[in-house]
Amino acid sequence: MPGKQVFTLDLNGRETEVFAPADATLLDVLRDNCALRAAKRGCNQGVCGACTVMIDDVPVRACLTMAGACGGRAIRTLEGYGDDPVMGRLQEAMNASGGVQCGFCTSGLLITARNLLAESPRPAQAEIRSALSGNLCRCTGYVRIVEAIASAAEEVAR
Amino acid sequence: MSFVLSPRTVEEAVGLLAELPDALPMSGGASLVAMKNARLIEASHFVSLAGIASLHGITATDTGLRIGGMTRHAQLAACDLLTGDLSMLRQAAGQIANRVVRNMGTIGGAVGNADPAADYLAVLACGDAHVELTGTEGSRLVAMTDYVTDWYETLREPGEIVTAIHLPAARPVPSVYRKLCRVPGDYATASVACASDGDGVRVAVGACGHGPIRSREAEAALRGNLRDPVAIAAFGAALADLADPVDDVRGTSEFRLRLIPRMVAAAISDLEGKR
Ligand SMILES: Cc1cc2nc3c(=O)[nH]c(=O)nc-3n(C[C@H](O)[C@H](O)[C@H](O)COP(=O)(O)OP(=O)(O)OC[C@H]3O[C@@H](n4cnc5c(N)ncnc54)[C@H](O)[C@@H]3O)c2cc1C
Repeated sequence: MPGKQVFTLDLNGRETEVFAPADATLLDVLRDNCALRAAKRGCNQGVCGACTVMIDDVPVRACLTMAGACGGRAIRTLEGYGDDPVMGRLQEAMNASGGVQCGFCTSGLLITARNLLAESPRPAQAEIRSALSGNLCRCTGYVRIVEAIASAAEEVAR
Repeated sequence: MSFVLSPRTVEEAVGLLAELPDALPMSGGASLVAMKNARLIEASHFVSLAGIASLHGITATDTGLRIGGMTRHAQLAACDLLTGDLSMLRQAAGQIANRVVRNMGTIGGAVGNADPAADYLAVLACGDAHVELTGTEGSRLVAMTDYVTDWYETLREPGEIVTAIHLPAARPVPSVYRKLCRVPGDYATASVACASDGDGVRVAVGACGHGPIRSREAEAALRGNLRDPVAIAAFGAALADLADPVDDVRGTSEFRLRLIPRMVAAAISDLEGKR
């Protein structure tokens, strides 16, 4: 098919071959070809943060990343955190505190929060808020999300 | 349909851009891919500059600093070399977008794109920076104060890329970047970069015209009068006279014209406080 090509991606620790349009973004490929739908397509402009994933241990926007620029780079989506106890704690805390309502922003928030705890195991409120400033939530008003991250951090650090 | 190409050297990259007239350079993709997603651009290829080692990193040179075009905003926001009159660059980098976008966007892409509201433009004009442009014929340096020629138009020729930004060595005097925006992470409604310079200041205004606004004449007139509110007001008015702001969602042209003298005065007073 014209305009399609094979991408070889290092995806959640597994070498994955994908046949997709040459100008696909990483988000397109994750959702449409790999059935990895934790990362959401919100604004597709880098603003909302719902598509945040890790590349080489750095959080980035999947919607602004060309699939063709991902060769040789380690991509990790929320689905790749199944055996990460810290992510487990964050997920439980988000559920318990009411930090999840419609859930659209949750995967991106969790990636951002997990990265924050890697950089700063016991973040202050202000630090949490600043880290989350690139993740929009239209339901919760953020207070419960901030509380959830603080309580998960506290439990993990204990 | 934009195919991604990943050259390993600058020569290869500018060669590809010369060969492929409908190709565009790509640094972080933070603006380019957003424009693609919004169907605002068509390109046959995106020539990714990310894999070119010589475009990465910040190095000391004989005359000051060389900041490679692929240097990310996050790196500049944390760069210990940006002290004194260069600390305004560090401050500006840390106010671009949000942390995740700062992991992606680059100084080369921001200067190449030359969005009138981009935070770096005022800082680099104030800091006497030069833009290193490279094409198939080699490299040249252009002063940041001359670089932007019209709305989204620059002295960069088609096929040239921004390979680096050159800055004079940091001097141990204060500098400040003031950005007024609707919410943190938005583009500036207006911005001011201001650095101390002996008994005077260097000042550039951003987001109030097609490029950064700086007046060496007005700076000369203000020299020695930094404690005189009348002289400072006249200085701010002179910069506002050179501005040509747009009306947009961030504010009206008139609002921006009123902001300029106030933000300039506030920035100068910030410097006095930092001495
Ligand atoms: C949500 C969001 C918020 C933002 N907020 C701000 C903000 O507050 N302030 C601000 O200043 N910016 C902001 N930006 C823009 C951001 O700074 C981008 O990093 C910047 O526009 C350049 O992006 P990039 O380096 O990824 O370049 P790319 O997106 O790769 O390229 C941008 C343009 O420049 C061209 N280009 C790329 N590299 C070069 C080069 N080396 N030489 C010549 N041309 C080149 C491309 O062809 C393209 O036209 C924001 C972006 C997003 C997504």
